[in-house]
Parts: sequence; structure tokens; C-alpha cells
Amino acid sequence: MDIIVLIKQVPETSDVKMDKDTGTMIREGVASVINPLDLYAIETGIMLKEQHGGCVTVCTMGPPAAAKALKEAIAMGCDEGVLITDKKFAGADTWATSYTLAAAIKQLGEFDLILAGERATDGDTGQVGPGIAAWLNVPLATYVSKIESLSADSIIIERLVEEGYQGLQLPLPALLTVVKEVSTPRLPTLRGKKKARAYTLRAMSASDLAVDEAKIGLKGSPTKVVKIGYPKVTRGGVVVKAAGEQGLSNAVDSLLEFLQEKKLV
Amino acid sequence: MRYNPVTSKIVEELKQIAGAKNVITDVERMEAYSHDETNKEEYGRMPEVVVTPNSTAEIAAIVKLANRELIPITPRGAGSGLSGGAIPVHGGILLSVEKMNKVLEIDYANMTISAQAGIVTNDINALIKDKGLFYAGYPMSLETCFLGGNIAENAGGGKAVKYGVTGRHVMGLELVTPQGDVVHLGGKLTKDVTGYDLKQLIVGSEGTLGIVTSATLKLTGLPTAKSNLLVLYKTPKDAIDTVPVVMAKGTIPTGIEFMDKLSVQTSCEYLNESLPYQQAGAMLLFEIDGTNQEQVDLEAELVGDLCMEKGAIEVYVADNYTTQERIWSVRRNIAEAFKVVSPVQSLEDIVVPIASIPDIIPELERLSAKYDIKIPCYGHAGDGNLHATLVKNPAHTMEYWREMLPQALRELYAATKALGGKISGEHGIGVKRKAYMLENMDPAELGLMKAIKQAWDPNQIMNPGKIFDMA
Repeated sequence: MDIIVLIKQVPETSDVKMDKDTGTMIREGVASVINPLDLYAIETGIMLKEQHGGCVTVCTMGPPAAAKALKEAIAMGCDEGVLITDKKFAGADTWATSYTLAAAIKQLGEFDLILAGERATDGDTGQVGPGIAAWLNVPLATYVSKIESLSADSIIIERLVEEGYQGLQLPLPALLTVVKEVSTPRLPTLRGKKKARAYTLRAMSASDLAVDEAKIGLKGSPTKVVKIGYPKVTRGGVVVKAAGEQGLSNAVDSLLEFLQEKKLV
Repeated sequence: MRYNPVTSKIVEELKQIAGAKNVITDVERMEAYSHDETNKEEYGRMPEVVVTPNSTAEIAAIVKLANRELIPITPRGAGSGLSGGAIPVHGGILLSVEKMNKVLEIDYANMTISAQAGIVTNDINALIKDKGLFYAGYPMSLETCFLGGNIAENAGGGKAVKYGVTGRHVMGLELVTPQGDVVHLGGKLTKDVTGYDLKQLIVGSEGTLGIVTSATLKLTGLPTAKSNLLVLYKTPKDAIDTVPVVMAKGTIPTGIEFMDKLSVQTSCEYLNESLPYQQAGAMLLFEIDGTNQEQVDLEAELVGDLCMEKGAIEVYVADNYTTQERIWSVRRNIAEAFKVVSPVQSLEDIVVPIASIPDIIPELERLSAKYDIKIPCYGHAGDGNLHATLVKNPAHTMEYWREMLPQALRELYAATKALGGKISGEHGIGVKRKAYMLENMDPAELGLMKAIKQAWDPNQIMNPGKIFDMA
């Protein structure tokens, strides 16, 4: 079973500061971590390898510093790491990113399964996984919350949908984007860390990939950011005031009425 | 000591000093000031009036009034204390410093910050982080506790192995004495033998010698790199035995936290965390910090190797925010988790010389078996400070628990003392351990403490009923 796990390095979000003028996040001095949902993809990949054998290759597209994220994934138990890095890739939107990652995956050769987090905490689009599935022309399941079973040529999964779960069987190779119900990420061990430190990542640049340079990076991105604004908070709370016995009784009535109106009780 | 009640005339006078809106007599509002993090039913006591002054001058005037009228006065920070230090056990005036929360000065040239007693300790770090500095006092409740409370209890916490306890960082203090005088102790001096070191006497005096209104703190260069190790052991003894070995090798971790199986399990269940605790009888959590990540990683690896040599089952490495937050969260939530699972308990704070930690563990196991209660144990292994917690067995009656607890504690404290230890490392004596303080302290030493209290507070109005009784 050859599994590819796609990850992204994102800014750690416990203390995000925004630039009020540009509307963008201040990245300076902010630590980077593996996108939280990608940790579940990594764990799922490692678990499937432990159950079925094979190799887990973790890939990311990003600046050279993203090597740290790949090493963390290797310390957790992934076997190979590929860093897709080139200044030409910088500024890519989800379309250009999925195009580039798909090209890199083709370069890696045969695979059975691609796993990715459902979305990244920084861009929050959830588009790159599906984009890659389209470029590679493989079946896709998003919001995967459970792996039911895996055989040599198909996988049965459960995906989280608005009103419950949907079961799907997909022929392999396939691409899954996962949510956090799917697994519980393990912590990297000291042995894993040592292995990761000694491991040399495979690097891929634009010239290593069979890509059309007009389709990569900022230049190749059809998304144009015209303006960034702050949403207005439009929820106005309703305050029910109560004074005295009668007031309290009236207040309870009007609260009940409100809740019934909203179909909450 | 007989105290006078707070009359309506006194309330009026308090209103004139602090303003009517800063004087609370409403019972419902006062309830929040009647307890701290100790068991409310057991230790809680209502004040007669709560005052929330805005300045040192107001505090001085209130203390003068209390001293004149012989009314007990209890200073209070955030109320996150664990020994009942801020509980008004004799009623009287409860003085909360909650509105005194301003930063007075940041002196970059001297690397100090001066702030009022009511500032949330964590807010200090948020203010100076951008300048590459930090305040190294680190009580575990840092997101809620106040600086004033930290000083009163000489708070320790999870970074004391490397950085020391609160007292190490306090350079100067402004204090309102029990007579209502305002004195400034210490300053910004690294060296000072100009008379007795009264500043250090105040640190850890649990508000019995006056009210700290502001403090000047030493700041430290902010460590920019850190790594944590979560180490699993078969037995608590294996874990504890590692601590002196690591300390002797030259790497001084920022903290070494110990958690036994029961503590980890309870916290993990509370947090819905799935660490592989089932296979481990105990865990150690190491933190190593510095300014160079590669160096820190190397040191962490050396510590990890030592742990494996000492029989660790597994060493997990957390060198980024996600994983660090995950493992520290387990440690930080133990006390809270036990409150949910079993509210009737006695959270202890014994401290022994580091090398004696392995010897105290069998004693805990013996007590647990003898009294048929659970005694989860966690705490700051690198300081010899363990929060063994005696938890009531649900099968026992409250009567049995009340009768048994003092006996069990006496045995625990006797064992601690025999190892050269003391009954409280960082939570303080307060009201909770007052009886045991009397039993475990040399009478001559206690006599000196009482003589100091008598000299500072002849009317015994300042936080009476804490640490020891004068009569």
C-alpha cells in the first residue's frame, strides 16, 4: 500500500495578530506548525501502513522552512518526505497549488491512496485536496471521518455530512480529505525524532516537475484578491429584563415565546 | 483577640475613603469573596464588608481605620489560592486589590517592571514579549492569579527548577503596614545588605505582615526555543529515580513535572485526550528552554537518552506549539479534573530534598492501602514538591473521612519531616495547614515568627488566623 500524505505548514493560531491596514495576518515572529487537520491525515496514513504494510510518503509545498513540518511527520512514523519548493511556486492560489502538487505526485510514481486534511487553518478553503483529485483524475471523498476497510483495490469510508454520515466505497487509487474524527494523532517519539534528523528529504523544484510555468505560483493563479475587509457582527442579542415577581413571570413567558419562535424548544 | 464588628458607621467611613461603588455589603456579591480554591463548604467564611480600593493611599487609610477600630482585615488577590490564605476567617474587612492592576513602569535599562498587586501575572508577559523579555515567575494558574497573591504565597510552579520561585524575581515592594504606613522595601538593586532583608520576609508571609500594593520585578531574557519530553515509566519509582540523575548531568531543565498513573488517567479522561497512559505507571514531563533551537533539541535528546537508560518505556518529544500544548494541558488540568471526579479531597503540597523523592512514594502507597483511599500524586519533581492528593473513597462516609484525614495527614507530614522535608512548598499554610504547622515546626523557630508578627502587627488585625495563631 503506497500512501501519500499531503500536509501544509501554517502559522500557529493561538495568538493571531492582524495588520489593520492590509487586512492580512502578521506572520513575523509567529511560530509555524503542521496544519492541525493534516495531523489526522498523517496518523491515518501511518495506521493504514501498520495494518496493511507499505510506505507513507509525506509531501508539502512551501518555503525551505517547511522541512520542519515534514521532519515532524517522519518522526511520527512516515517513511519518506518530499519538499516541493521553488520561488516560482510562491503566491499560488488553490488552483495553482493543486496543479503543482498533482504534478509532483505524478513524478513520485504509482500510489494507492492520497490523504490530506480537510482544510488548512490559514486559507480555510478546503479546495486543494479536491483540486488534486481532479488533476489526477482519481475518485475523491471529502470530510472522511472513518476508514471502514481497505483492500488491494478499494476502500470503504464514512464521511461526515450535514445530517449524519455517508458510507462510500471508492476504487483505488483515490484521494481522501479527513476530519478529526478519523483518528487520534500520535506524538513523535525520541527514536522517531532521531530518525527524522538523520533523514535527508527529497527536494523538488519547478524544473524537476513537468509543469507549465504559466500555471504555477502567483502568476498562474486565477484568484485575484481585490479587497480584504472585516465582516460586521450583525447578531444583536435580545435582553429580557425581569424585576419583581410579576416581571420575572413576564420575562419567562417572553423568553419561552422567543425560543418557540426560533424552534429551539 | 476580640475584634469589633463592622458597623454602618464603619461602612460609611470606608465609602468616604474608597468611594461608595467600591464598598460591597450585598451578601450575594460578597459570597464570591468568601472562599478561594479550597473547599468552600469546609473553609469558606463571609466577610462583613468587601472593599476594592483604587490606590495605595486608599489602602493605607482603610488599614489605619481597621487598626484603630480593631477590625480584622484580609487582603485578597484573584482568590486562586490553595490554602485559604485569602479567606476572611474572622469576618471583618475583605480588601481586594482587583482594581489595582496597572503597570507603573517598564525599565528596559535595568530590566525591571513595576506593577500593582492586582495585575494578572500572565499579562506582564504579554506586555514585554515583543521586547524579548519575560517574567520568569510561573504559577500554574498564571492566567488568573494576581501578582500580589504570588508574592504573598511565594508562588512556585512549573519553571522553578531553572528560574526559581517568585521571591527570586522580586526586587522591590511597596507595602502598607498593619499600622497603615506605606514603606518601600528593596528597589532595583542586585545587591543590598543595608539592614535586614525585609522584602524577602514579606515574600511568602501570606498577607499577615501587611498588604503588598505594588512590586518591582526582575525580568529575564525571553527563551525563544523550547522542547518538551513526555516520558513514560513502568513505576513511579523508575520515574522519580531519573530526576537526580538528570539534574547531576549538567542540563538544568526549566521544569520536571511528575504525574502518576491515576493523575494522568483522570486528566486525560477529563480532556478526552488519548495519550497511551494505560501502559505507564507514571510519567515525567521535562521542559528544556534556551535561545537556540538546535542546542535545545540536543539537550532534550541527551535528557531523553538518560531516561531510556533509566528504564523509560517511551520518550515522546514535543518541540512545537501543538504538541507542547497537548502534553502541558494534561499536567495543568489534573487538579481541575479531580475536582470534577471527586470533589472531596485534600490537595497536599509537601516538599522534600530532591534526592529523597523516591523515598516518599512508598509512604504514599502505604497510606493509600492503610486508609483505603486513592492518593494520586503529581507535581514538580525537579523541586521535590509533590501534590499528593488524598481523595475520599466514595464508599466511605463523610464522618469517616473527617476522622481519617487528620490521621493520614499527620502520618504523611511525619514521613515528609523525617526526610528533611516540609509540609508546604508553594501553596502556603493559610488556614488549611495551621494545626499541622504547629506540630511540625521547632517551637523556638515558631516563637521567632510570632515575635515578628507581634512587632509588625501588635493589634493582630492583618489577615488574622493564618499560618499560626498568636494566642
